[in-house]
Amino acid sequence: MLRASNGVESGPLREEQVSSQVQLGIDWLPSPFVMAHVHLLGRSDDADARRGHFGIAEAYLDANFRPGGDRLRLRAGAFFLPTSRENVDALWEPAYTLTPSALNSWLGEELRPIGIDAAWTHRGLTAGATVYRGNDTFGALPVARGWSLRDHWITLGEWIPVDPEYVTSVSAENDRRRGWSARGAWIGTWTDTSALVQLTHIDNRADGLDYGALFNWGTRFDIVSGEYTKGDWTLAAESGWGPTFLIVEGTKYTTDLRASYALISRRWARGRATIRGDLFEAATRGRALTVAWLWNLPGHLRPGIEVSTSGGDQRVIVELRYSFSGR
Amino acid sequence: MSRTISLVLLLSLPAAARAATITVDVRDARGAGVADAVVYAVPEGRELPLGKKTAIMDQKNRTFVPHILPIQTGTSVRFPNSDDIRHQVYSFSPAKVFQLPLYEGTPANPVVFDRAGVVTLGCNIHDRMSAYIVIVDTPYFATTTKKGRAQLPQIGAGKYALRVWYPEMANEPAPVPLMLGASENKGLVVTIRK
Repeated sequence: MLRASNGVESGPLREEQVSSQVQLGIDWLPSPFVMAHVHLLGRSDDADARRGHFGIAEAYLDANFRPGGDRLRLRAGAFFLPTSRENVDALWEPAYTLTPSALNSWLGEELRPIGIDAAWTHRGLTAGATVYRGNDTFGALPVARGWSLRDHWITLGEWIPVDPEYVTSVSAENDRRRGWSARGAWIGTWTDTSALVQLTHIDNRADGLDYGALFNWGTRFDIVSGEYTKGDWTLAAESGWGPTFLIVEGTKYTTDLRASYALISRRWARGRATIRGDLFEAATRGRALTVAWLWNLPGHLRPGIEVSTSGGDQRVIVELRYSFSGR
Repeated sequence: MSRTISLVLLLSLPAAARAATITVDVRDARGAGVADAVVYAVPEGRELPLGKKTAIMDQKNRTFVPHILPIQTGTSVRFPNSDDIRHQVYSFSPAKVFQLPLYEGTPANPVVFDRAGVVTLGCNIHDRMSAYIVIVDTPYFATTTKKGRAQLPQIGAGKYALRVWYPEMANEPAPVPLMLGASENKGLVVTIRK
C-alpha cells in the first residue's frame, strides 16, 4: 500500500506525507477443521514507536466444530477481538474507508488479546468469550496521547509512545492478572437485507500501577454496535464507553472513555462511497467527519481517496492498494 | 422447546399423464407455511444418472446467496464473491469436505458435489456467514416459498420416496412413499426439537 497525504503533524488526524505498508497473511489449512494464521506487517511510518517498522500483528490457531448443527470456533494465540463493524476485510482491514474510526483506531493500536477465544453460534445468535494475557497498558493512548484516526495496528512487542516518559504495548503483562472479554450478537438475514446487533464487554483487569516505562491502566469498556445492509447500502455504528484508571502514589485517578461513530456507505460497480461521523472523549472531547471513495477496478489494484476534518485540521489521503491471494 | 411441522401433501395426477406436478405445502403446528424447506422425490428401485448441471452459491454483503441451495448429486457449484472484500469458504460436512483459500472474484474451478447429504458452509473471515447445500439423488427437488409451498414438476410415473429437509429439524422425517400413476392425498406430521 502506498499512501500520500497533506501531512498533519499532530492531533487525531496525524499522518505522514508519504508512507507505505506491506501486510502478509499466511494461512495453513491442514484440514477444514483447523487453520493456522499469521499476519505480518511492515511499514515505513513507525509512528515513533520502538520496533514499529516490522512485526507480527496476529498469530493464532483456529479449530472449528459443528456440534448439532451449531458452530463452535476455538481460537488460541494473538488476534483482533471480533468487535468491529468497519474492519471486516481480511487482515482486519476497513472495508468502507482508508482509515478507521477513532474507536477502532484505538482498538487496533492498543488491544490485541493474547489468549483463548471461544465463539458459539446457534442459528442467528452468537456468544463469545475471551481470556487473555498482556494488554495491561490498554487505555493509555486516548487519555495521555489522545484519540487518533489511523490504521497503525500495533504488533507484538512494539512499544508505542504515550508521552515522553511512558509507552504502551499489547505484550505488557506486568501484574499477572488475566483480562477477559465477553460478547453476544444477533444476526438476521433476509433476501437482500441483513442486520446485526452486538454487545461486547472488555476488562483488562490491570492493577493501575507503574512498571517502569509501562504504566498499567485498568480499563473496563463496553461496546454496542449495529449494522444494517440492504442491497448496496450499509449503515454501521458503534458506541463504546467505560472507565480507565491508574494509581499514582496511592491515589486512584479515573477517566471515562467514550467513542462513537456512525457511517453510511453505498456500493456501485465502479466503487464505494462512505461518509462517517466520529465522536470521542477522554480528557478532552473531539469530533471528526470523514468522506471516502474507494475505486473498484478489475484486477488487484484499489485506489482510494479520503478527506477528514477534525478540530480545525483537514487531512487528505490518496492511497493505492495492491492485494492478491494465492496458494 | 419443541415445534411441530405438519407436512400436508396434496398430490394431483391427471390419470392419463406420464408426467405429474406434485404440490407440497409445508406448515408448522400453527398452520404457518415453512419457507426454505427442501422437498425432493427420490425414485425407488432405479438409479438416475448423476446430474451434470451447474449451480451458483454467491456471496453478497457477507451473506451466502441463496441461504439454502438444493442440487442433484454430481452438480458443479461455483462460488463467486460479489463483495468488495475477501472470503474464505469452507465445509467440513461429511458429504463434501473442501476449502477455498482467501479470494476475490470467482474461483476458476467449481466444486463438484458427488455425494448426497447436507453441506454446511462457513467463511473463516466472517463467522456470521453460514449456508447449506442440500445434495439429493434426484432431479426432482424444490425449495418452499415464503408461504411454504413447493412444486415438483415433470415427474415421471413410478415409485418414489418423498423427503423433506429443513435446517432447524433435529431429525429428518420418515420419507413418504409415493406411487405415481393414481390420484391420492397424503398427510404427514413431523415433530422437530429446537
